[in-house]
Amino acid sequence: MFSLASSSPTDHVVDLLNPGGIPLLTTHTITLIVVTAVFLAAMIYAARRIATGPESEGNERYITRGRFPQMVEAISIYLRDEMLTPVLGEKATRQYLPYLLTLFFFILFINVFGLVPLADIQHLLGLPTYFGGTPTASITVTGALAIISFFVIQIHGFRELGWKGFLQHLTGGLMPGPIALLPIVVIVFVVEVAGLFIKPAALAIRLFANMVAGHTLMAVLIGFGAMVAKQGGGTGSIVGISLLSGVAAIAITFLELFVAFLQAFIFMFLTAVFISLMSHHDEHEHEAEGHEHESHSAKGAAQHAH
Amino acid sequence: MLKLILAVFAFQDHATGGVGETAEHGAAAHGTHAQVLDTANWLPGVTALIVFAIAFAVLGIFVWPKIAKALDERENKIRREIEAAELAQEQAKAALADYQRSLANARDEANKMIAQAKSDAKAVAEELRSRNQAELIEMKQRATREIESAKRAAISEIHQEATGLAVSIAGKILEREITPKDQKRLIDDSLHEMAEAGKE
Repeated sequence: MFSLASSSPTDHVVDLLNPGGIPLLTTHTITLIVVTAVFLAAMIYAARRIATGPESEGNERYITRGRFPQMVEAISIYLRDEMLTPVLGEKATRQYLPYLLTLFFFILFINVFGLVPLADIQHLLGLPTYFGGTPTASITVTGALAIISFFVIQIHGFRELGWKGFLQHLTGGLMPGPIALLPIVVIVFVVEVAGLFIKPAALAIRLFANMVAGHTLMAVLIGFGAMVAKQGGGTGSIVGISLLSGVAAIAITFLELFVAFLQAFIFMFLTAVFISLMSHHDEHEHEAEGHEHESHSAKGAAQHAH
Repeated sequence: MLKLILAVFAFQDHATGGVGETAEHGAAAHGTHAQVLDTANWLPGVTALIVFAIAFAVLGIFVWPKIAKALDERENKIRREIEAAELAQEQAKAALADYQRSLANARDEANKMIAQAKSDAKAVAEELRSRNQAELIEMKQRATREIESAKRAAISEIHQEATGLAVSIAGKILEREITPKDQKRLIDDSLHEMAEAGKE
């Protein structure tokens, strides 16, 4: 009704059960499976191109060929050296890099694929909508990723701090301490425990809300022309409104492309920040002043994210 | 926060329900059975968990180790080459310093040799000159002596000849016999006078 191709402009953000009559599947689940397959193939291809070649190639063996592998390499190096190492330190970065990079690229692929009007293409071809839309516009998908991050963060906390240290962390370092502080400790404990869940929940909601908002805005912009037509507008007004809204939709698409990268980065980076917050604080105190500054930056980023 | 989460779920349910009818209409038009998601929202979430776990496992085995290894190898190579370049630069600097030092030494040595050669040549020349001078003096003295000796011999001979001639002439003039004894006395006297005259 609203768009020229899809049955609904919000097909990008809503999920449909049993697409094409396939039971126990939804458009988002099929999209997730398809995108993951493409993602794995692309990353394996990139890894092969990035990997060092045989010695017979000489210095050429160290050169990464292909734009996509070069992009993956550049992003990986930047995230590792400029973003994660200052927050997590060398050791934890090496330890968590596979998870964090997988998280980043996984979300990025889903977000970017969400910008491709796959549902509309199927609709234009006269096919049922088997897949399409943006799975990260589903709160359960972002929630699932946040649950994984939650477990990674807490397991890291237990391993790093131990049970006792973990509990001390939850009391804000006030216990053991004066008995007079006990009421405050209780409040801090409740807030900290809530924070354990709120942090990943905020990750899930932020990604979900950004994806839903962006795609809904785009759908509304694209639908303006159809709305004018429905209201009985003349050809001139339909064309004019369609042109204006089309140009705006193109601009928003570029913004969404940026948001796709940004939200993938934020999800990954905040997970790293939450991991670093559950690290042993003594280590930070013993490290260089610069690192202390970085740790504060990380805390600042976390607060900002809240 | 709880309210917010509930609101989000409510929004999604609303959004899903709101457009679900349209989707149903669209699906019905195609003769399919797509339905609106009401309570089955967990399906994408569970799928996300499974596919992410698979993706993480596959990437953890086939992708990240390769990329990490390649990045490390490249970093090590770059570090090694920078170190090698720095070492080569140090060696080149040291070699240049050695070369410059050797060149300076060679120049000093050459200057010394030239100075020595000049000095030697001067000494040899001086020696040759002094020797030549000595030889010349000696030759001159010898020649002088020989000339003197020849002169004396010639003068003596001339004196003898002259005396003999004079005696002979005097004898003829006096026409008397001069005895050998007289002759000898006359000669001696003449020679003595001539010698005296030569001294004057």
